[in-house]
Amino acid sequence: MSRLIATRAIRGAHKLVARAERELTAVLAEKGPDTRVEFPNTGYFLPISHGILGLRIETLGGLRELLAEAKKLLPPVPSDNLWLPYLGNTLDAGMATLFADEIIEAIKYTHNPLPYLPETNPRDGHLWLGAANDVIMRERGIEFVDNTAPGFAACVGYCPTNEIAVRIARELQEKNLYVFMSAATDGQSMAQQLAEEGIEMGWETRLVPFGDDVTATIHALGFSTRVALSFGGAQPGDYQRVLRYNKNRVFAFVLALGPVDDEKHAQAAGAINYGFPTIADTDIDSILPTGICTYEHVVSPVPHDRIVSKAIEVRGLKISVTKVPIPVPFGPAFQGERVRKEDMYVELAGTDRPGFEYLTGKAMEEVEDEKIEVVGPEIDEVPEGSQLPLAIWVDVAGRAMQPDFEPILERRLHDFMNMAHGIFHMGQRDINWVRVSKEAKDKGFRFRHFGSIIHAKLHGEFGKIVDKVQVKIFTLEKEVLDRIDTARKAYRQRDERLAGLTDEAVETFYSCTLCQSFAPNHVCVITPERSGLCGAYNWLDGKAAHQINPTGANQPILKARVIDPVKGQWQGINEFVFNASHKTLPIFSAYSIIDNPMTSCGCFECISCVLPSTNGIMVVYRNFPGMTPSGMKFSTLAGTVGGGLQTPGFIGHSKRYVASNKFISAEGGAKRIVWMNRELKEELEPELRRIGRREGVENLFELIADETVAVTEEEVLAYITEKGHPALSMPPLF
Amino acid sequence: MKTIAIAGKGGTGKSTLAALIIRWLSENKTRSILAVDADSNVNLNDLLGVPLKETIGAIREEMKTRISDLPAGMTKQQFLEYKIQKSLVEGPDFDLLAMGRPEGPGCYCYANSLLQDILRTLAGNYEFVVIDNEAGMEHLSRRTSQAIDCLLVISDPSARGVAAAGKISRLLRELETRVGRRHLILNRVNGELSDQVKSAIRDESLGLLAEIPEDDALLKSDREGIPVWTVAGNSTAYRAVSRMMESLDL
Repeated sequence: MSRLIATRAIRGAHKLVARAERELTAVLAEKGPDTRVEFPNTGYFLPISHGILGLRIETLGGLRELLAEAKKLLPPVPSDNLWLPYLGNTLDAGMATLFADEIIEAIKYTHNPLPYLPETNPRDGHLWLGAANDVIMRERGIEFVDNTAPGFAACVGYCPTNEIAVRIARELQEKNLYVFMSAATDGQSMAQQLAEEGIEMGWETRLVPFGDDVTATIHALGFSTRVALSFGGAQPGDYQRVLRYNKNRVFAFVLALGPVDDEKHAQAAGAINYGFPTIADTDIDSILPTGICTYEHVVSPVPHDRIVSKAIEVRGLKISVTKVPIPVPFGPAFQGERVRKEDMYVELAGTDRPGFEYLTGKAMEEVEDEKIEVVGPEIDEVPEGSQLPLAIWVDVAGRAMQPDFEPILERRLHDFMNMAHGIFHMGQRDINWVRVSKEAKDKGFRFRHFGSIIHAKLHGEFGKIVDKVQVKIFTLEKEVLDRIDTARKAYRQRDERLAGLTDEAVETFYSCTLCQSFAPNHVCVITPERSGLCGAYNWLDGKAAHQINPTGANQPILKARVIDPVKGQWQGINEFVFNASHKTLPIFSAYSIIDNPMTSCGCFECISCVLPSTNGIMVVYRNFPGMTPSGMKFSTLAGTVGGGLQTPGFIGHSKRYVASNKFISAEGGAKRIVWMNRELKEELEPELRRIGRREGVENLFELIADETVAVTEEEVLAYITEKGHPALSMPPLF
Repeated sequence: MKTIAIAGKGGTGKSTLAALIIRWLSENKTRSILAVDADSNVNLNDLLGVPLKETIGAIREEMKTRISDLPAGMTKQQFLEYKIQKSLVEGPDFDLLAMGRPEGPGCYCYANSLLQDILRTLAGNYEFVVIDNEAGMEHLSRRTSQAIDCLLVISDPSARGVAAAGKISRLLRELETRVGRRHLILNRVNGELSDQVKSAIRDESLGLLAEIPEDDALLKSDREGIPVWTVAGNSTAYRAVSRMMESLDL
């Protein structure tokens, strides 16, 4: 904890609370306690006091309560002989500051004329916009939720020159961040600097001038408080949730530009409560240890050309844009663009020409960073409409690189290449397919630029893993064919490794709530050894879907503490399922059919259910129309199992799950199967024989009854008794 | 991107009109057109005179049945995307996507959620998307689920036909698909409309956009299996479609 920062922040808080008290007393004397106060066109009262304290302030008189809260939080200014002040005191001072800010800003709205222009964009020389109204809130707040805008930079103070101000603003805009500007120093502010340079400002350009007063910084934190209330489901007064939501979801930080006085220190302390760190260009000391913020709390001094990237790093914000040196526009917006045949200059790989893409880890000395080679004709050496083979071979090296990362990195080549305007990329591995448009070619795009993209993006997104990247691009058939077998061998090995992946070997499972549209309380938990019950989704798909859409129906779930390794219960999984099932399922067993089994939506390929007298279970596939030994047909069984209810003795699952080592392993696994419909049984014959061998029941396949020998539970019992099925001698199911 | 959806009962000549509309767009507006054959009795390609590749339905089935022998390290999203992009029939004047037969039994949540994303992204590449729908609007509601700028409901010039067209239009309202404009088109009109038809149009409160006359040249080419695409530009029906499209002011 920096003594310097703590002292100045606490001193600043005292000054601001005193100012709030002074101004409140004056305005109460002048206008009376019943004068209305509100931020115009907002339905949230005053956001900080409402969100953090649950107050519903509507009048000047109501502000007294907020002032009392601010005073209550104010810690004493650390004395000269206190060398290690607590972070807690500083945080309290920060919160008191925010309350004081809100009082001062609220009072401004009782002034006539209004010191702010309550609109979307500045005009007619009115620069400062003040608090965001509800329309702006709805339009813009959602961008914080769906990640269109990852967060904001609250910029206080001013830059040494207008050019630097513009450059910082542009850099923040490029990263899709909002730029909230407030708090002039000595009458100078970043917003004024931008205005002098003729930069268009307002919510539409994401450059928002809130106010020149230091207290106007509150409109940035007010905005993020309202995001937590509107979109994060936080209740007014549930300050923990408001703050945690902001820390976890809103990637914001404070840029302190120019001299930082006590009051600005106090604002920084307020922001730290939200998990927003402060990055300063002057030397104001630092608060480095991790506590509230993801990484450091205050970092200084940082030079202007590095301040944005430093802020992003400190806030733990992953932004996918690094400057990619290619002659065509580049960004996620161009993903999904198809280069139509008419617009196409050249087509690579696809079905008519061989191709593959392969990424492999190498030793550090074997890789020369940014070395890009094209072996074979370049794009300007072939006529329009050509079809060429294409191999993209990427060597990476890095201290933290592991073979397991290779496929993860390799899969991203698709996303990366698609981000270039005029480049169309499909598939991966040895079914890749690329088109380059005439327009891109005319603008100077060359095949070697594939290498530039891959180099820049691998560094940008996997900087922690990757230190060096070199790329070879082959457009000659012989060169491609000479290497394709090496790549294919590696793909096979990776598949085998993945197929051998166990639940124990991973820390996270993935949820799937795609089906909640019709089974609102159902949650699929997808593990390496248990695919989604529809059979479509495996663990890798969940992982990939999460990468593509981080807020979608597939979320990573940390297993956390193991509660019961046999039944498959983990603390993290239980907590997730409880919440995602709308608090209907407190306990969940991944490997049991009896004890809190996984629920089903209705999409299951198969149903397993207990046949009590046999001490075993039956499995039926969904296209089997006949009667089963349970006395129910598939359709009736489906009614029992589906809809997100836990029904002990019944589970819905995928076909492949039967072959998994974790198939009802809590009850002894596939050895419990006494009946299957014939088609399913035959389809799974190789797996059943493999499991039989493993379990020491060589003839397991023959021991399982089907509809040709038994359609009632009695007949199944008779059949397995005659055959000597192992289920009969296993421990009782109940 | 503008989406034009063409709907109507079987036998109203809606696919023929779809083909003529696509032709008009490519001759007068742009060749950045995605034609979507969303009728399970796929035949728009014949009318447009292009071969058919794989249908989306077939791709979906393949993905479901091959699910366990897809490469383990490759995501289904990418596999499906690749297949769909490959299935596009690319002509100089338009691209064509055929939806094919609807889904069989089993769970399609996953496949459809992938499809929806992929198709929406694909459609975004074109200036015009023209969808030839089956009467039930299955594909509109469940697959593409995108807003429709202009819905054209085709009917023959009969009171019963107009009532059926009204029903289709209402159905779409229930499906909560956002629709900009909706119009009625009477096809194969021969002479004056009967009073019954006129009153049915009033009852269904569908604005009548155009009457497309019966065209012997079209009927003849249909019998001989000649694509509508190649029928002479001065044919009566094509001229009527041209006037109609101009009046739409797209």
